[in-house]
Amino acid sequence: MNTAAENDAAKIESRDFLITNVQGNILRGYKLGMVRYLFLEVADTPADRARARAFLGTAAAKGSATVPVITRESNTKWDTKPDSCFNIGITYEGLKALGTPPEHLASFPTEFIEGMARRAMKLGDFGDSAPAKWPAPFDQPKRVHVIASIYADDVGKLNAVTAQVTPHFTTLLGQRDGKGLDGDKVHFGYRDSISQPRFREVRELDKIAKSKAADEQSKQAEEKPQPWDPLGTALLGHESRYEGVRFGVPTPEVLGLDGTFNAFRILEQDTAGFEKYLTEQAEWLKRQLKDNPKIQLLLAPGDEGRIGTGPDWTWTKAMREIIAAQMCGRWRNGVPYETSPDTPLPDPPNERVSLTNFDYSRTSRCPAGSHIRRCNPRGGPIVQRIANYTRRLVRRGMPYEITPDPANPDKKERGLLGNFIGASIGAQFEAVMCDWLNLGLHDPNVTGTNDPLIGANSIETSWFDLMLPDGSAIRLRELPRFVITRGGAYAFLPSLRAIEWLSKLRT
Amino acid sequence: MTDKGGWFDKFVDSLPDRGWFKFLSKYVVVPYWGWWDPKLKLTGGPRPTPQPSENLQRMMNLIMPLKDPSPVGRAKAALAIAQNVDEIFDGLDNVGTVHTARFLLLDNNICMISVYDGDFSNYIRDFIVTIGSSFDDVISLVEGADHLIPTTQNVERFIDWVHDHDLFQAPDFSTDLFALQDEARILHDEEKGIVTKTPEHDLRSLPRELILQFRANPNISLGGGYRAYPGFSAAQVRNKMGVGW
Repeated sequence: MNTAAENDAAKIESRDFLITNVQGNILRGYKLGMVRYLFLEVADTPADRARARAFLGTAAAKGSATVPVITRESNTKWDTKPDSCFNIGITYEGLKALGTPPEHLASFPTEFIEGMARRAMKLGDFGDSAPAKWPAPFDQPKRVHVIASIYADDVGKLNAVTAQVTPHFTTLLGQRDGKGLDGDKVHFGYRDSISQPRFREVRELDKIAKSKAADEQSKQAEEKPQPWDPLGTALLGHESRYEGVRFGVPTPEVLGLDGTFNAFRILEQDTAGFEKYLTEQAEWLKRQLKDNPKIQLLLAPGDEGRIGTGPDWTWTKAMREIIAAQMCGRWRNGVPYETSPDTPLPDPPNERVSLTNFDYSRTSRCPAGSHIRRCNPRGGPIVQRIANYTRRLVRRGMPYEITPDPANPDKKERGLLGNFIGASIGAQFEAVMCDWLNLGLHDPNVTGTNDPLIGANSIETSWFDLMLPDGSAIRLRELPRFVITRGGAYAFLPSLRAIEWLSKLRT
Repeated sequence: MTDKGGWFDKFVDSLPDRGWFKFLSKYVVVPYWGWWDPKLKLTGGPRPTPQPSENLQRMMNLIMPLKDPSPVGRAKAALAIAQNVDEIFDGLDNVGTVHTARFLLLDNNICMISVYDGDFSNYIRDFIVTIGSSFDDVISLVEGADHLIPTTQNVERFIDWVHDHDLFQAPDFSTDLFALQDEARILHDEEKGIVTKTPEHDLRSLPRELILQFRANPNISLGGGYRAYPGFSAAQVRNKMGVGW
């Protein structure tokens, strides 16, 4: 006799998957240049609940003059890029505020119910990153009910949609604007958003005309050895990367299916501190050159030209870039350290270096402690032998605040508005944050260390091993924390049908 | 300030050794106290910490009540372990973060005692994903766990269930008990919409707090345990020993 769980699984398995039931910001990015996040509250009164529900119902259908339509995944190609896109995420408190019955609330996973602030220690959010230090609105996480995201190429469109959204909620608790930097870069100067999970189901659905660079990236994605990701990586109710395992789908089925979870994070980046550390360590290595000739294996004096061309490329400047590349696992222009460990400028210059087609091995030149190898160890050797490719996350991030001018440095807060999307917060986002980024448990040579770029490092104890071509290492010490968490929340990204269901609640 | 109490303090301190008080405390004082100042059963397992080395070699003391604790039921449990032990140990090997694991039959429970590295949820998830079907045979003999089978289709619920059946680990610094009980109370009240402030504690009330926690939580792991080589992961030890990781 089948158990209830087996019956549920069979029921889910037999249904047709409708891609247009999925919100449009999950399986692919919009490639629009700006984003605005609105943090909204629904007060505990029948009138406020009804207003918010009515908004959701209209937004999930066709929208109206006063309600933006929620952008859904498309089953056809988009001929033209839309002016703006709009999506919503709902926190556990938000589901409660909208009147979701307790038996269905209880069917959500524990980490989502507890919320990001209560999971802080697991995520490395302590010290300056502790929730107690988060500014509004995340200093009162229980009031953040809906995170609405608006994507556009200009502020006018962002403002227009903002004006449509806010009257339908009790309080606009706050907002954050992000803007893409030139060359898809983030504030530490690296090109970002290169490697993402790939889904066969959206392979043919290129919805917007791509730039030449994006097209090139797409071609590379086709040839990379990383396996296709099952839909269950990003959507509830589908087979996950774990063989035979499906993450729990919240009830009722219409609420949970084709939804997913998002760890929304506001991450402040200490750009000046990062550049200072690179300089200090490069200068320290220069002073060690006489005593430790092995450093020349990384960069011999006079060989600076392979790192950068021009008279200003001193040994120290070039070494800074080598350190930065090893810390990330990519050169700042995106070229993988694994496939091009000696230079960010492959020779001949026009040779196309795949940004994604590579894997790690026991003799990898890319350090096991580097950022991208911790986030996604690919098919390389890891301690958790069954975990390769199981903790993949869809990353949608955009920087906030403009790039600092090196000639006139300022002290403005700048960083990244990040969305880390997956069908299981626990099995994907938290698993990566806890065991790989902040403990280095994937490789015994780096166990006990944190991610050099975003880890919860402490200048007194943290270090990073710079790998030499002969497999030995030079330890860089006094590694400070470069990224501080300034807020965040776990949000559920419901399907369109689920939003419609929520809009019809009457409790 | 003297650490020598007055006659009344000495009298109170001597109460636990007085026969009449033992009787009174068992049947009246502690039950009344527990009713008047209820303590929540603190959750199982080690707590996350900022110190990376403390996130290694963590203890799990999983106590699972048997459906049938009779000699026949216990024999069935022993057989279930014997029939699946190779798969279970192979699975633990593939999880990669486990130092030791063993099974015990203790009173009416089947217990899994293990030492692992890193996050508890990751350990249990990887374990179940690897050998869930073999472990289902064990779980099927446990009281109140039928809804978790097959475990591979109920991974999140299984993790919560194991967490709930993992013994609470008393803090190495006994005064930390105050903060743990306060935190549990605040979160519990918060769920009910009640705002609770952190109370001030008198150090002398620590034994009472401990007694009340024992009342809510009769089985407790006493501290984090001894480690011969603290701060090393299973993979680091294997690597040093040259047996591969």
